[in-house]
Amino acid sequence: MTMENQEPPAVLIDQVSKWYGQVIGINDLSLAIDGGVTGVLGPNGAGKSTLFKLMMGRIKPSQGSVRLFGVDPWTNTSPYRRVGYVSESEKLYEWMTALDFVTTLARLHGMTREEAADRSTHVLEFVGLDDVMHKELGKFSKGMRQRVKIAHALVHDPDLIIMDEPLHGCDPLARTSIMSVIREMGEQGKTILVSSHILEEIERITEQIVILHNGRLLAIGNLHAIRGLLDKHPHRILIKCEDPRSLANQFVSQEPVFGVRFPREGQLEIQTNDLSAAHSVLPSIIVNSKQKITSIENPDDNLDSLLSYLIKEGS
Amino acid sequence: MDKKGKSLSETVWTRMDRKAGAIIELTMRQLRHRVSTWVVLGVGALLMALLLTFYVDSVRESFEPIDNDGDSEDNDGDGYPMGQERKYGTPDYDPDLFPGASVFVPESDIDWNDADRTVALNKSWEGSAFFEASWIDDQYSGEWWDSHVDWNLNQEGTPELTDCSDWELDDIVESIWSEACDMGDGDGDGMNTYYVSGKWRGAGVATVPENYYLLWGFWTEEVYVEPEPPEMYINEDGIDCFENYILRGPDWEESRVDCPSETRLSGSHGFDNDGDCLALDDGRGNDDNNNGIPCDVQWFASNGVVTRIEADRLVDEDPDEQEYIGELGHRTFVIAVGKMAFVILLGLFIPLFLSLGLVRDETENGTLHLLLSKPIHRAEFIIYRLSGYLAISGTYVVGLSLLVGLISSILGPGDQLVRLSDMPVWIGIGVATTLVLAAYGSLFNAMGLISPKYGVYLCIVFGIWEFMMGSFSIVNPNWTVASVSISHWALQMIDAVVLLAWPDTIQWAEMDNAFEIGSGLSVFWQPPVHTLGTASAGIALLNSVLVLVVVTAAWVFIAKSVFSRREIL
Repeated sequence: MTMENQEPPAVLIDQVSKWYGQVIGINDLSLAIDGGVTGVLGPNGAGKSTLFKLMMGRIKPSQGSVRLFGVDPWTNTSPYRRVGYVSESEKLYEWMTALDFVTTLARLHGMTREEAADRSTHVLEFVGLDDVMHKELGKFSKGMRQRVKIAHALVHDPDLIIMDEPLHGCDPLARTSIMSVIREMGEQGKTILVSSHILEEIERITEQIVILHNGRLLAIGNLHAIRGLLDKHPHRILIKCEDPRSLANQFVSQEPVFGVRFPREGQLEIQTNDLSAAHSVLPSIIVNSKQKITSIENPDDNLDSLLSYLIKEGS
Repeated sequence: MDKKGKSLSETVWTRMDRKAGAIIELTMRQLRHRVSTWVVLGVGALLMALLLTFYVDSVRESFEPIDNDGDSEDNDGDGYPMGQERKYGTPDYDPDLFPGASVFVPESDIDWNDADRTVALNKSWEGSAFFEASWIDDQYSGEWWDSHVDWNLNQEGTPELTDCSDWELDDIVESIWSEACDMGDGDGDGMNTYYVSGKWRGAGVATVPENYYLLWGFWTEEVYVEPEPPEMYINEDGIDCFENYILRGPDWEESRVDCPSETRLSGSHGFDNDGDCLALDDGRGNDDNNNGIPCDVQWFASNGVVTRIEADRLVDEDPDEQEYIGELGHRTFVIAVGKMAFVILLGLFIPLFLSLGLVRDETENGTLHLLLSKPIHRAEFIIYRLSGYLAISGTYVVGLSLLVGLISSILGPGDQLVRLSDMPVWIGIGVATTLVLAAYGSLFNAMGLISPKYGVYLCIVFGIWEFMMGSFSIVNPNWTVASVSISHWALQMIDAVVLLAWPDTIQWAEMDNAFEIGSGLSVFWQPPVHTLGTASAGIALLNSVLVLVVVTAAWVFIAKSVFSRREIL
């Protein structure tokens, strides 16, 4: 066994609970994460931010223990040398330039002024803010601010990066940019925790997920495996077209489809037990129908559906 | 290189320095970007500018010669200053009595029990008598309160008075007062006899009734005395010290020098240069200090420092302002500004505006997450934040104290361009205020952490307590309760620094009291109290610094204890 194998995992949560008075934030959660990008999924109030605050030593667990690289972050700040944290808070020092901001925070890792400036320039380039790094943060858009926060979390080249809703409120362009930054960091071998309440976002970043619900660990593992389970259960496909009824006739003869509905004018809802199979026959039927299709949506392919499924399975 | 092969610049201490530098710099920049910082520092600078204006307008004016004892005034408007009137023995409340004026010289009298009760003379009379007049001076007159008799002469020069020839004697003496009545020419010699009571002038035979008196004399010739200029009586009685005995003519005399005399501090000093003490008859031999020497000043010294001065009244009471009041006023200004403006006002208000939210505001603004995600212990964070606040506020007060010190040193009394002896005092004021800023800063910051919502009210309550205790400490530093305040110890620092920089301040304060100069030095300054029985200003200074540092550290510790346990949501 090598020395590396003996090193404790980046994140070890052991039977942790956290109460805020009568309200429970985290309920008997155990988790070990080391390496790769992990998406922490859960609806608002699931306990994602509480989990991250426990990891960052902001709050003390009511029960259980939290360890970052084997050290309790509530009593010891040494793990933060290896941790980068992107908080959900949007507040920055508005009067600072991006370079100034990242450099100042980099110096808190003990870097010299020059070293901090060099590293900050580098990470700001990495997150795609090289052309605006001398602008004041007060003039930055939401997406740019998120990228500045990511830059400050990366400036000391951490082994563990914790990102609380980094895509929240960003425009599509900023989302794409931030996602690619996260993926790239994951490819560099960092341990990354990214929280979100939107399944699609996480799906585009990683396959490894942790799902939280009401403070409990609902599922952990590969996203596709979890989604595969979901696919085998009743799903809906909503098609907006010119003549839903003629299109419905063609679908009802197909095996994966067990029912159709017309929820509104110009809309066809197909009900299926095998989403993948339904999607595989979908293109040929549409081409044959020669209809103009406005949109195809999967109303059940979201976190809420996944959660309801998992909750139902668990009960 | 250390064991792990890291260079010295990479050791823990160096990294800590860098972290400290970063947070201190961040704090300073944050404070610089806040309007309230500039408002409070601007108001402080404005206050100092106003005080300097006051200095120029008021304190410097006191360097101009002032008539402290008021003897250059001419109260009765007769053209002679009071000092000159004192010398000539004339009062300064009666315009008719002035140096060289005609004065009444009494010659003799008939008292109530004299046997011989008749006299024939041409005199000025005062009293009661039957007067057989051969001549009466109708010009002899004065004010009504002088009881001058009005003879009411007719065109022929004969008095026309009430006829009292047939009155009983008792009726006459009881009803005639400040006037005369006509008794008629009883003996037929052609000269009427009058009963006169009051003042009159005339020739004749005066017969004084039993149990009455009559005084007579003459008025001197009025001579012209050149009025002396009032300036002669300004600064005419300075503070004298007899330095030594010297042979002057056939006798040994004490050689007089202006005080303070370095060779003989203790002993009987003082000289009544303008003679007003000697002219005063206070019924106690003009020896208020009870040292057996009239009109002198008794000085007491210990270890080469004058500790007490007791002066007889009106001795050395009009000293040279440039020499004495200028110095006293200047020192009072420096001490009063140091204590009131720097320690109490700036010392309280700057931390109230700048330190209360040093850590609290980061929590409220949501920026604390950024800072605490870095490897910094929360106690370190508090200390670095306070250091940043002190770097701005301390630099400001030290700079401001040196600036005010430089300007007042240039304006101050003395021959040199800048009074260098002031500089240690101003540095002391700056350092004392900085220590107060540190103590209040750590206290207010702790209040902000203990109660983010109500901390400001707690700080205001503390501020009122400190202001009151500071004010009491200025007036009475011995009051034990006042020592349970931060301001008390900072004020003690200033008292100690003043004594170290100006060792003769006790003497100046005593001179201020003894000669009633009224500069207020003894109100604003008293020797330091906390000397641990050594009477050493150095010990008092160290003691005060130590207390302030311990108080600061204690509040940092309290803040750290609160902050370390606080969950940041």
